[in-house]
Amino acid sequence: MTTREPETAAPPGTLRVRGLTRRFGERTALAPLDLDVGPGGITGLLGPNGSGKSTLLRCLVGLVRPDAGEVWVDGVRLAGDGLAVRRRVTYSPGELACYGGLRADAHLAWLLDGRGREALRRARELCEAFELPLAKRMRTFSHGMKRQLFFAAALAPRVRVRLLDEITEGLDPTKRGAVHELLRADAAAGTTILLSSHHLGEVQRVCDRMVFVRDGRLVSDEAAAAVRRHSRELLRVGYEPGADLAPVAAAARRAGALEAREHGGRLTLRLAGDDPRAVLAALCADPALPRPRRVEYGELSLEDLFGELYGEEAC
Amino acid sequence: MDQRLRTYPLLGLVFFVLLEVMLAAAILYWPEFEKNVGAIKMLAPLDVLKDMVDTLAQGGVEAYVNGQHFFKGVNTLGLLAAVLFSCGAVAGEVHRGTLEIWLARPFSRRRLLLSRYAAGALALVVPIFATSATIPWLLTYVDQEMALAGVMLCAVHASVFALMLYSFSFLLSSLASNPMPIALGVLMVSIFEFAIYLVKGITHWSLFRLVDFDDYAAIMSTHGLDLPLVGGMLAASALMLLAAERAFARRVP
Repeated sequence: MTTREPETAAPPGTLRVRGLTRRFGERTALAPLDLDVGPGGITGLLGPNGSGKSTLLRCLVGLVRPDAGEVWVDGVRLAGDGLAVRRRVTYSPGELACYGGLRADAHLAWLLDGRGREALRRARELCEAFELPLAKRMRTFSHGMKRQLFFAAALAPRVRVRLLDEITEGLDPTKRGAVHELLRADAAAGTTILLSSHHLGEVQRVCDRMVFVRDGRLVSDEAAAAVRRHSRELLRVGYEPGADLAPVAAAARRAGALEAREHGGRLTLRLAGDDPRAVLAALCADPALPRPRRVEYGELSLEDLFGELYGEEAC
Repeated sequence: MDQRLRTYPLLGLVFFVLLEVMLAAAILYWPEFEKNVGAIKMLAPLDVLKDMVDTLAQGGVEAYVNGQHFFKGVNTLGLLAAVLFSCGAVAGEVHRGTLEIWLARPFSRRRLLLSRYAAGALALVVPIFATSATIPWLLTYVDQEMALAGVMLCAVHASVFALMLYSFSFLLSSLASNPMPIALGVLMVSIFEFAIYLVKGITHWSLFRLVDFDDYAAIMSTHGLDLPLVGGMLAASALMLLAAERAFARRVP
């Protein structure tokens, strides 16, 4: 006799969420939400503050009990207090709090309690690579140093799924780059990583796929390449405050821009393709037009993306 | 190991030392007390306290030791220890912001909570038994004696009462987000309960009537526990622990 898995059960190394709902009083933190992640790769979980990213991650590891819905993580169904899931994944919280009186090495060991000696050894190596003073007490650690310690603890255990919440928040660019490299290497080894962030640039750099959440709902599920394409179709030009941008918008349209939107002394132009030269030339050719002060192309903030994708002044 | 669990042995040791110092001082004072019991009674400001002195004097060294150690020492220091060991168990983590990392490790919530409860309970109860075990030895310094078995039965009774207070404070900690109001609240209630104890007419409403001189005298004379009372206090502790576990299961970081 064979037992049949439920239709929604997910294979190892994947995340599957169906109809996940969580309310805090009157506020809906997660509307019914469906999501599939993995196997393998880095998926960026993007959304403005309060959009439900952290609640989603906490639900996935059983820290917050959903009101409704089903979750499978690495082939295991989330049930009870989520212990079975927590044994199979690592999780790095977004909000950092620690036991200030503990030495960093002891704190690391405490974080990795139940994960085995090998995980602790690897975590210590990572901390040494980050040049963290493990002999010092946690209360002497800066925010960025704590972030690196927690990242090391989340990256060290050999698991198939990692859930990481704002792991580079507070890090300097060098350290952030190092974290990104480690994430890419981990994903290349087959690990499924769900990386929450509200910095689009960071997610663009490391993620294969992006999931956008707003008001607890999945508003878009885009491949990173599609987001990059979106970013190359947008040109933003800044002007002196009070400049009359109507003739600029008209000139841009004549030069091939599909759409021109003015907001806050800036003109955002949607291009027909991924070449901004014709539009830029038109804006610079006519001396009667206001002089551009700032030109942005190829880089989008999360706010831009939400605004452009969904026509909202989001975030 | 749970970070907080490491602190319990030290807390228990401090509790033991303080309790033992109080006990030793009380026992070494016994000859003076016996000699000056009349004068001490005169100094007592309330009738209920005069009655207490009478009870101690009539009951001899057994009543004196039980009163000093179990009624006074364990009920005062034990109450403080019960509150101190329990009020931060969960609320302290919430207040510090460490609840999330505590819960995120690969352990069940039940295990996290029960291990913390057990560690605090041991830190509370073991010193009560340990200090009680030294009573026969300390009494040899004042040429007195008490049977160890009777003393240990009294220790069981006193420990179960302390455990009930501990469980109450632990339950509040599982519900709250700041340990300080819990500590202050339980202490205020305890002071109120002791005030009731001192007032004739309503004294029987006081919780401290559960661990009164008479109870210890009965244990020493019958060589047995008041099982319904001890069982009731244990059941109350178990119910409060169960309620704490339910509350903890719903805590959100």
